[in-house]
Amino acid sequence: MMLFGFRVSNAFVPIDGTLSREDELVSLFVRKIGILNTRTGRCTLRLSYRGPVALNWATSNDAGDYIVKKSNSDGVIATGSYSHMIARNSFELADFKDVQNKSDRNNNQHQKPSEDFSLIQNGSTTVEEVSNGNSRKELDLEARAARRKQIEDFFTDPVIPTAEESISTMLGKFSAALWDKDFMREVYEYRRLPRPPARGLAPLSYEWLTLNTYSGLMQSIEQETPGDSQEEAGIVQTQDTETVDLSDQLQGSEEFDLCSKDQQKSEHRTSWFVRLFCCGATSSPKKVKQEKETKSKGFLSQDEQKLDGDENRKKRKLSEGISPPNHKRARENIDESQMTDSQRRANFSAISSPSNGLNKHVSPLANNKPGATKKLVIKNFREKPRLPENFQQQTWEKLKESVEAIQRSTSIRWSLEELYQAVENMCSHKMSAQLYDQLKEVCDKHVRCNVEQIFACLYCKFFLTFFTENVGFEQFLKNVDGCWQAHCRQMIMIRSIFLFLDRTYVLQTSSVMSIWDMGLELFRTHVMFHPLVQKRTVDGILQLIKRERTGEAVDRQLIKSLLRMLSDLQMYVDAFEHSFLEATESLYAAEGQQLMQERDVPEYLAYVDKRLHEEMERLLHYLDMSTKKPLVSCVEKQLLEKHLTQILQKGLDQLLTENRIKDLTLMYQLFSRVKDGLKEMCTAFATYIKVTGKTIVMNPDNDAEKDKDMVQNLLDFKDKMDNVIDVCLSKNEKFVNALKESFETFINQRQNKPAELIAKYVDTKLKAGNKEATEEELERLMDKIMVLFRFIHGKDVFEAFYKKDLAKRLLVGKSASVDAEKSMLSKLKQECGAAFTSKLEGMFKDMECSKDFNLSFKQHMQHVDSPGGIEMTVNILTMGYWPTYTPMEVHLPASMVKLQEIFKTFFYSKHSGKKLQWQSTLGHCVLKAKFAGGEKKELQVSLFQTLCLLLFNDGDEFSFEEIKTATAIEDGELKRTLQSLACGKARVLLKNPKGKDVENGDKFLFNGGFKHKLCRIKINQIQMKETPEENTTTTERVFQDRQYQVDAAIVRIMKTRKTLTHNLLISELYNQLKFPVKPADLKKRIESLIDRDYMERDKENQNQYHYVA
Amino acid sequence: MPIRRKRSSPTSDDPRNKKAKVSNWSRRNELENDFSTKRCIAWFHEYTDTDEDVLGPEGMEKFCEDIGVEPENIVMLCLAWKLDAKAMGFFTKAEWLKGMTEIQCDSISKLQGRLEYLRSMLDDPVHFKNIYRYAYDFARNKDQRSMDVETAKAMLGLLLGKHWPLFGSFHQFIEQSKYKVINKDQWCNILEFSRSILPDLSNYDEDGAWPVLLDEFVEWYRENKSMSS
Repeated sequence: MMLFGFRVSNAFVPIDGTLSREDELVSLFVRKIGILNTRTGRCTLRLSYRGPVALNWATSNDAGDYIVKKSNSDGVIATGSYSHMIARNSFELADFKDVQNKSDRNNNQHQKPSEDFSLIQNGSTTVEEVSNGNSRKELDLEARAARRKQIEDFFTDPVIPTAEESISTMLGKFSAALWDKDFMREVYEYRRLPRPPARGLAPLSYEWLTLNTYSGLMQSIEQETPGDSQEEAGIVQTQDTETVDLSDQLQGSEEFDLCSKDQQKSEHRTSWFVRLFCCGATSSPKKVKQEKETKSKGFLSQDEQKLDGDENRKKRKLSEGISPPNHKRARENIDESQMTDSQRRANFSAISSPSNGLNKHVSPLANNKPGATKKLVIKNFREKPRLPENFQQQTWEKLKESVEAIQRSTSIRWSLEELYQAVENMCSHKMSAQLYDQLKEVCDKHVRCNVEQIFACLYCKFFLTFFTENVGFEQFLKNVDGCWQAHCRQMIMIRSIFLFLDRTYVLQTSSVMSIWDMGLELFRTHVMFHPLVQKRTVDGILQLIKRERTGEAVDRQLIKSLLRMLSDLQMYVDAFEHSFLEATESLYAAEGQQLMQERDVPEYLAYVDKRLHEEMERLLHYLDMSTKKPLVSCVEKQLLEKHLTQILQKGLDQLLTENRIKDLTLMYQLFSRVKDGLKEMCTAFATYIKVTGKTIVMNPDNDAEKDKDMVQNLLDFKDKMDNVIDVCLSKNEKFVNALKESFETFINQRQNKPAELIAKYVDTKLKAGNKEATEEELERLMDKIMVLFRFIHGKDVFEAFYKKDLAKRLLVGKSASVDAEKSMLSKLKQECGAAFTSKLEGMFKDMECSKDFNLSFKQHMQHVDSPGGIEMTVNILTMGYWPTYTPMEVHLPASMVKLQEIFKTFFYSKHSGKKLQWQSTLGHCVLKAKFAGGEKKELQVSLFQTLCLLLFNDGDEFSFEEIKTATAIEDGELKRTLQSLACGKARVLLKNPKGKDVENGDKFLFNGGFKHKLCRIKINQIQMKETPEENTTTTERVFQDRQYQVDAAIVRIMKTRKTLTHNLLISELYNQLKFPVKPADLKKRIESLIDRDYMERDKENQNQYHYVA
Repeated sequence: MPIRRKRSSPTSDDPRNKKAKVSNWSRRNELENDFSTKRCIAWFHEYTDTDEDVLGPEGMEKFCEDIGVEPENIVMLCLAWKLDAKAMGFFTKAEWLKGMTEIQCDSISKLQGRLEYLRSMLDDPVHFKNIYRYAYDFARNKDQRSMDVETAKAMLGLLLGKHWPLFGSFHQFIEQSKYKVINKDQWCNILEFSRSILPDLSNYDEDGAWPVLLDEFVEWYRENKSMSS
């Protein structure tokens, strides 16, 4: 498999000279691979080997550039150019290309790669020396050391991972060989060592190619084809199968041994070799570079000093005399010293090819043939190279002309390779500094010309401004861009030619810039630092960007290219970014200001979002990413941060009121971008809730209608805000807390009423006949109510009203469902603790006990003589659990009193320690009544109503006063009772005179002609208007309870603290008390306790209290 | 002791005693300077029935006349404080003996000489405070825990009327307020208030431990002031 095609004109492989690494590499190539087609004066070196290794191959184009690829699939890893050998050595390019093509084809044809690359060995037995075993062993050791060094050197190649890859691939292939393992181990061990930092790698490929510019020296390389090989041309013939045999055969031969080892080694490293060659174009470790330097210097000095005499011998001597700089050289030297001169000669002569003439014409296809054995013969210099007269001048003229041609974009008279060689020669002859200066001068001149060109364009622009300003500056930008592109192209080309200069002189001299940098510098100083050009350019770019911001389409590519130029010239930040940000800032400051005025908030937010989006796009398309942070923050600052308060003031309330989810989401997203944005928004959000909530809660006129809807409104409002937080504000913790706090604040701004209303709201929901909700809905509703309840400070108020309502529900049996009641109770318990609900639970317990007790009473009644026709059910209510009812003494009919007595005795027989008190206000009865026409009705009425109606058993007409004395019902109550009987819907009594309200002196008649479609009629007692009396009593009771709680708390605190200052006591009290209290109220309680000797004031310090035991 | 016997006999006859004092100045002086418990008890019984142990209102009136001081004079309060009298208008024998021994007085003239000293007690803040606190228990109706407003007003006028610029206002405030009684805590704090709070009330702290009575007074005073101005 042909991997790499190269030709070496006048290949020189100084095996006997001072060998630097490059030399060694060449020789390795020459030895291991194949060399064909040697002729006097020129030589083609073709490297080929077979193996499963990744393909590395090179192509060359007409211009003399070469491209080296690691494999076909890989990208180009190095490019370069080398001077045409043909031009100087009358070698046909076509030939080379041909070979290459063939080799490509061979690549494809070799479907099954043999295990190894074939050893190029030609008549090795005759040529190679057999040295004795001892010396070989020694050599072996030394060779190992040297190899180690080699490994090190290879690894100074910065592109090591690829090498590693190939190592691993090969490791699999050659694991059988012990040596390989050793080698690999060495390699791996070495890999663990810290490596010196890599610097640029010199273009080795050039190096060893151009080693041979001294054409007088020549080496012949010969290859013999064994057997019936058809090979005639100088194509490396690789033979896999024979390799092993040969190496076995030739083990005795030191040269071969070395060779074969090297060969094996190089097989592993072939890819690295190639890499080394290739990568040389881009970077090389300093060491390598230095070696090169010494090497080339060595040659030069040789050439200069030993112009006459036997060059080979002298050279060898000289090289031996010069102490080798590294191990490799040492090895080579020893290696060499082991050989006799004659051996070497024989070696060389043996290598010299007899079939030069033929080789040229033979097809590279022959390459494929297996079993070919090659031989490498390297001859010494025949004559001493001589520096031509006027060398420097001529060469420079040539180079200058070429450079100018490049700058003019015209064709170059010389091949690029030739130019490259010229540069190298000049460098080799210590003309680097001069060359550099001259080159710089030429470039300088050209760049100055550029400025003039641009100026020409500028002047042109001045004329144009009169007509079309826009075209003017765009054209100018294009010109600048064109100028820059051209400059880059030219500098790349020039650098390629002067690569050697760049890699040697420039790298070693720290004071000068590399050619590329020099080009940049020149461009910077002459073109871009020109104030007019710079200003025009930057202004132009800004103008374009401004246009784009106003919505026009602009040439983004142009902007991008120009900005790239600026950043390449390191002017991006100074020249552009600063003014760009300024322009952005002023633009958005003005725009933000204006639009804030003109547009309403949602529109404005949408606009800000759009702008941010656009700027991000701008960043993506042409701005440098380093601008991202300042740009985005600039836009955010100008459009958002400055208007935060205004946006919030103007828009947030509206958005929240209208429940505009999308806009709110956008607002949240935008505000989260700016510092303090969310904080401000959160504050505004809280304020909105407080204000809105306050309007719901506050009711200065005590309008009952409004209070009725308050709880429902609150629930709706809470739902809405929860939804906003969930959807728009991404459940931000801050906002959730703000919501809670705000609710707590506004709900408690009105004392007690919200708690009362919530209790009543629950009552309506839990009352029987409320069929609007299913159980689940009811459950959910109660959960929501509990949330509201949680906000309320005066929970005792809630409890009082809830208890009152619950008592009503229980006694009248109106409760919708016991389950719902119980679940509400458990919720309250969860929220406020067992103490809070213990009384409520007691009420439920009472009801259950009463049920049982009534059953046993009924059984008891069967054995007792009872006044006929009356059944009685009694609910026994424990005093503390139930709301306090003022007992009212009324005159009951004798039968009822009798029944009560029976119950009393029965009860006391069961519960001796208890006392019964009858609550006549809570009683209700079912009466059977006969009306005229024989209609029998059942009247469901209250006890008071019953008392009034029973009177009419004895007569048909009674006055108000008569009824009052008979029943002893309290005035107002009696009026209400009679009103319900005589003025309500079902009028079982008639009033005289007629009227809605009952007055003193009114007379009441039995309504004999009463008619009603139902059999059982419920006559509702006219409800006392609940407010204000009942309400105030409840509230007052709550306050009274609170006083006790405060007293208890004070005593508790003082008891633990013994002595406490006033302020501490107050703050402690606020911690303990769960309801709102005024400080003055607390003071009153404190004074009362002082008065009652629970505590005393300190005699000296009136701010301090002592606990009195 | 003969001297004692001699001394005790003239005490019963006051005018004679005075004459004797004048005629035999130096000796009498020496003799009378010594405090005699007997003389003191005899003096006490001048104002009571012989076997009674309590000096009642009538005796008190005479006593005041004798020492030349009106009953409502603040010196009488000081004296009462010195005697540690439990109730206004009454001295018990024990109180009398203990208190008079303390101030070394066994005769009218001696006491008259001591009156200035008693009056000077009022200028000492510590003593004044004690007198002030004593006055509450001294003046209040023994059946009640608190002092009724009328007594309080009179006592305050007696004690603070001269020193406290705001007394007039406070008096007015009490007059119009619904307060019927002043408890001891309030009483004590009024003194503190009069001492520590500037007449313009600028350093009054509503959140302080002042009794609500004083909070209300301050509020009332400020309101009144703003209305009048």
